[in-house]
Amino acid sequence: MEQYLIMCRSLTYAQRAERVLSQNGINSNVIKAPQNLLTGGCGYAVSLRKNFDKAYSILNSSGLIKGKVFMRVNEGEYEELKI
Amino acid sequence: MIYLDNAATTLIKPPAVSAAVNRAIKTMASPGRGAHRPAMAAAQEVFNCREAAAELFNAGEPERVVFTMNATHALNIAIKSLAHKGSRVLISGFEHNSVVRPLKAVGAEVRVAGRELFDSEGLLRDFEREIRGAELVVCTHVSNAFGYILPIYEVAELCREWSVPLIVDASQSAGVLPVDMEKLGAAFIAMPGHKGLFGPQGTGILLCRDHGRTLMEGGSGSDSISEFMPEYLPDRLEAGTHNVCGIAGLRAGIEFVKARGTDSILKHEKMLVQIMKENLKGSDYEMFFDSGENQCGVLSLRSPYMDCENLAEKLYARDICVRSGLHCAPLAHKSVGTIDTGTVRFSFSPFVSPQQVKMCCKILREAV
Repeated sequence: MEQYLIMCRSLTYAQRAERVLSQNGINSNVIKAPQNLLTGGCGYAVSLRKNFDKAYSILNSSGLIKGKVFMRVNEGEYEELKI
Repeated sequence: MIYLDNAATTLIKPPAVSAAVNRAIKTMASPGRGAHRPAMAAAQEVFNCREAAAELFNAGEPERVVFTMNATHALNIAIKSLAHKGSRVLISGFEHNSVVRPLKAVGAEVRVAGRELFDSEGLLRDFEREIRGAELVVCTHVSNAFGYILPIYEVAELCREWSVPLIVDASQSAGVLPVDMEKLGAAFIAMPGHKGLFGPQGTGILLCRDHGRTLMEGGSGSDSISEFMPEYLPDRLEAGTHNVCGIAGLRAGIEFVKARGTDSILKHEKMLVQIMKENLKGSDYEMFFDSGENQCGVLSLRSPYMDCENLAEKLYARDICVRSGLHCAPLAHKSVGTIDTGTVRFSFSPFVSPQQVKMCCKILREAV
């Protein structure tokens, strides 16, 4: 199953992102980001399985995209999406 | 018991507050650290409280809501972010020591304007005269000793005209009067959680327009590799584990205020002030009442026959809780001319009834 991770600058930003997506009918959840995707230490991400394009567009227009975006390719393996 | 010390801490809280604290202490761990269920439950509670506060105070994004230990902590962050040695800072004549002492500690050059009680027009004239050259204005919304509602929106407008940053001390107004971050355009607004917002002691809020200077550094759960605090809010100003139980209670208190409305709360408190005024009419007490609309549910009085501490003792003996002395606001007492005697302060809340105020007045009449 597809999984996308939108990296957020902080837990609060991730929570805001989740709230905005929920208000737009998109299910997502806040997770602690995998360490191998981080450069600055601990961080949080919004994880979603569907509606990625719409979600990205909403978050981008809300100014909430501040980090990288990844797609899971295998268990524990992620590929950065260049958008 | 008749509890009339709500300007210090509201003791009688909405029942939802203790229920929220109880739930948090049993089910919530450290927010922004682990990702297990109790940690995420804590994170969600903290975020919900940020959202509730941002909405009540029209602060914009929830990350502008920074949790502190109390209003003093919040004021220290705000003042030490903007005032430095030699900074010329303009304050009102009704500031609390939580404003005066941090300013003195950083070595600011403090000027005081507006010292007449309940004289908003005079205060604005003084501010207009003194604001030239000021690098910062710090102004309380309501005097904690006298309940004087200062014309904070007009002061804010003046600050905008002169491009001077403003710090608002909303310690007595948050939850009682409309406090609108956007309308005020303040750099920072500081407030306690445990007064008009009905949260537990140990909670406070700093509304931030921009990130401030850190008073403490430590774990934030973010950018952990860096040896420095993150630049972004709220992480920058929130080192260490949050007071999750307090914040949960604070959210319940904020929801109570939102549901009841500050207009209704203020109306109730003004009604109690009026009852007190009428019931002490003709007594020998010197009462500091406003004849107009510039007073909320806090008032002070003193007796010509008795020290304010002795009068308070008489009230304590009848299980009436008040606050006597200088209320950590010697500047306000100097302004009013009560610095040598202090006053006895009575402060109300939505949980104080007219009958309780009448009973208090009866005991006051018997006391002298």
